[in-house]
Amino acid sequence: MTPLLSVVSRVLLRVTAMCAVAGVAVVGPRRLYAAAGNLIPYVREARTEFATLLVVLLVSAFGRDTLQTVSEVAGLRLTGTIYAMEGGFVAWIQSTFASPRLTLFFSSVYVFGYTFLLVFPFIAYAALPESTTLKRVVVAYGLNYAIGLVVYTTVLAYGPRNVMPDAVTPLLYTFEPTYQTLVAEVNENTNVFPSLHTSLSVTVALFAVRTREEYPGWTAIACPLAAAVVVATMYLGIHWLTDVVGGTLLAVGCVSLSSRFVEPDGADGEGDGNASPPGDAPSSPRHEEDPTR
Amino acid sequence: MGEISRRRALAGIGLAATSAGCVGRVQNIAGREGPSQLELTIRTTPADEDPHAVRIARSLAENLDAVGVDARVDTLGGADLRRAVLLNHDFDLYVDQFAGVLPFDPDALYALVHSQFAAETGRQNPFGFTDLGVDDRLDAQRTATPAERTDVVAALQRTLCEQQPFTVVGFPDALAAVRADTFVGWETNPPLSALGLLALDRVVGAPGDGGDGKGDSETGSDGNEGSDAPDDPDGGLIDDSLDDSLKDSFDDPLEDTPIDGSDDGPITLQLATTDERITENWNPIAAEYRRHGTFTSLLYDRLAVRDGGTVIPWLARDWERTDPGVYRVTLRDARWHDGEPLTADDVAFTYAFLRDTSMGNAETAVPTPQYRGRSSVVESATAVDDATVRLTVGDAGRAAVERALQLPILPEHVWRERTGAATIAGFDLDAETTAAIVATNDDPVGSGPLRFVESTPGESVTFERNPDHFLDRLDPDANGSSAPTTDPANRIPDAYRNKPAFDRLAVEVVGSDVAAVERVANGYADGTASNLGPDAVPRIARESGTRLVSTRSAAFYYVGYNARRAPLSNPRFRGIVASLVDKSRLVDDAFAGYARAASSPLAASPAWVPEELRWDEERERDPVYPFRGDDGEVDVGAVRDALRDAGYRFAGTGELLARDP
Repeated sequence: MTPLLSVVSRVLLRVTAMCAVAGVAVVGPRRLYAAAGNLIPYVREARTEFATLLVVLLVSAFGRDTLQTVSEVAGLRLTGTIYAMEGGFVAWIQSTFASPRLTLFFSSVYVFGYTFLLVFPFIAYAALPESTTLKRVVVAYGLNYAIGLVVYTTVLAYGPRNVMPDAVTPLLYTFEPTYQTLVAEVNENTNVFPSLHTSLSVTVALFAVRTREEYPGWTAIACPLAAAVVVATMYLGIHWLTDVVGGTLLAVGCVSLSSRFVEPDGADGEGDGNASPPGDAPSSPRHEEDPTR
Repeated sequence: MGEISRRRALAGIGLAATSAGCVGRVQNIAGREGPSQLELTIRTTPADEDPHAVRIARSLAENLDAVGVDARVDTLGGADLRRAVLLNHDFDLYVDQFAGVLPFDPDALYALVHSQFAAETGRQNPFGFTDLGVDDRLDAQRTATPAERTDVVAALQRTLCEQQPFTVVGFPDALAAVRADTFVGWETNPPLSALGLLALDRVVGAPGDGGDGKGDSETGSDGNEGSDAPDDPDGGLIDDSLDDSLKDSFDDPLEDTPIDGSDDGPITLQLATTDERITENWNPIAAEYRRHGTFTSLLYDRLAVRDGGTVIPWLARDWERTDPGVYRVTLRDARWHDGEPLTADDVAFTYAFLRDTSMGNAETAVPTPQYRGRSSVVESATAVDDATVRLTVGDAGRAAVERALQLPILPEHVWRERTGAATIAGFDLDAETTAAIVATNDDPVGSGPLRFVESTPGESVTFERNPDHFLDRLDPDANGSSAPTTDPANRIPDAYRNKPAFDRLAVEVVGSDVAAVERVANGYADGTASNLGPDAVPRIARESGTRLVSTRSAAFYYVGYNARRAPLSNPRFRGIVASLVDKSRLVDDAFAGYARAASSPLAASPAWVPEELRWDEERERDPVYPFRGDDGEVDVGAVRDALRDAGYRFAGTGELLARDP
């Protein structure tokens, strides 16, 4: 267990540092101070959303073994089909672009960049004057995990590094084998479709585009970083192109669903959901929708 | 798809047709099923679990594709693959490793290809291969005199190499990454074998050493060590010099601090494996969960074990032939892990049980899914007294009988309760499956030198030394003294006396062969216990304190064909597929050179292999079905000609055509 702890602490250390730097640069000290004040009321307002996300994560963490068994008994075995569909695309990426420096870059992006990408929106959107975006992000994360878990159980497929080890090197694990310990803790190697790295990164990028007025700096960071994560999943030999396409579609679906589930806050910002929505959103009689719907 | 639309179109024409003659002709055409491209799926384990098998599968699939077959590779997890192949016979081709690390007697082929097992499920004849000549020779080698047997076995191999029920690819070396700071003696036997683990010695002066460690016992290694690792396998994608400097900046200042040998705790032998099955199931007869049976052999003793070239008495104190076809076996004083005494009744029960796990309760016998060849030798087993068993073996010769003595002995008081039909929630599943076959066998009760402690499925399993085992009671110096060697107790070699040299054996599941090597390099494990591929082997030389040990192994890799399915039912077709397996190239690429290409499944025991079936070292080619091509490139024209000669046809665009089954 000790190697795992050392990897986890390494990731925590890096990501905290990245968040601190980005927090000051993108959000600014003043708004960060506001975020600290917003923390308690926002969490209280978004308690349904946070609770739902927590439930999904707990199910994902503790039900994984059971669902994996279900998947092995009744899941669709699609490894051969995916491979027959896209062939050696991932192998082509590696053979064309791979270099030691790129491997270092994409490994860092895959582990540290991705975690940073997922964590930073909580800080940035907590600093906004209303909690709508924060709630939507939480709902979108929850949807990504929930739908991802269902598809993982339905589809049993191995990634390219497991099928064509002669042509696709598992660059991340060859470069830094301890990461396999970390990844094995949070994922099974039969869960490749869809790519949750892709879907969550694209989700964050889509929100970053929506909040470009408030945080132009974040948009400029998040979009290229998300794109790099997406490429990294294939460059490192972990995901098929098919997984990436599936992940992108999942992200688009989850973001648009989150907007339908979470209505914009009232102008009073108190978040009891009774105020009339501002004009930029389609008016609808629903308030404080249950995000699990 | 094509044929359906064609039939629809023809149906339309049929409706439009008015004359009776025309209708008849249309019916004649539309009623025929058109041919379509032949699709073949090669099933195997993913690279994380076995670095070699999927490489073989991919290479064969590419070569099949090149000649016009739509070949696919499908990866399945360890137990999943064996369930599909061995139990459900749901496969076209599969790539796997034969389950036997130590050189084996030709009688091992009996269960593998005898047609009497084609209808059974399990490791016995998964190919559905049937050939009367092969059956005759398999039976003959059991009863032949030693002089005749060589000829019979040679003839058997000739037929098998020609018929190709499976294609032998090569014999890999048993490789392991090990540390020698706590245990030594890794080279004595293949480290993946039960005896190999028992032969380990504790290093004198190692943490917790009680002083009884024998120190440097690094005897006769026939393998190469460490430094001759082949070239970088990642094709320069990870440049080593750059790698180190970059990694320094990438790594964290928090140094890994292994929790090595804390002072007074139990001495643990820690192994890393990529095979999680031993953390989930401890049933010695569950074919889909066993690999080489290393750990179950340490839980369940056998009457005899094979040590190098000789068979030595183990749980049996001795045996002798009393009459033609009758053996009298005397047992050592032993107890089961739960404290019950082990008696001759348990042994008699085991032999009856392995032949019919329902013990007569089912309408027809339900044999075990493995050990089928061995259990078929013993016709009956009777307890004479508490410590004596009489085995009736018919005409079987010494080699077959010695193999039959190497079966795990099971406690009757545990397994008798598992002879009923397997049920799920009270419903019978299928009359041909007993509870014994599907039992996970939690908390296994054996009599072996190790007993089960605990496990976390998918993560780890722990065993501990059985202080009650006979190895512990042997006089350590008997062999060195003047004691008469007629005492059978003295026939246990020194290497296994008062063993194991550890109090606990812990096996941890890791993500891949590379991760397993890393565990050893960082001091979290003493050795690896699963196959190491071309990505992992070169790392061993790079890490300080870690060595590569390599011993020859009999566990060959092979491509199995489902002879129940056309066109794999045709030996000519199988022969052409065999000629698409580029064995010498696979030895270089998939095994990084740590293997020997072969044609015969007995190549690890060269004395049995006739001259004309030996691998052609000079020209690096198979003596029977040489690779049709050069330098890894298939000679498509030649292969297609061979297929056409065998009666197969091609579409104008080059696809190999097949009738849908």
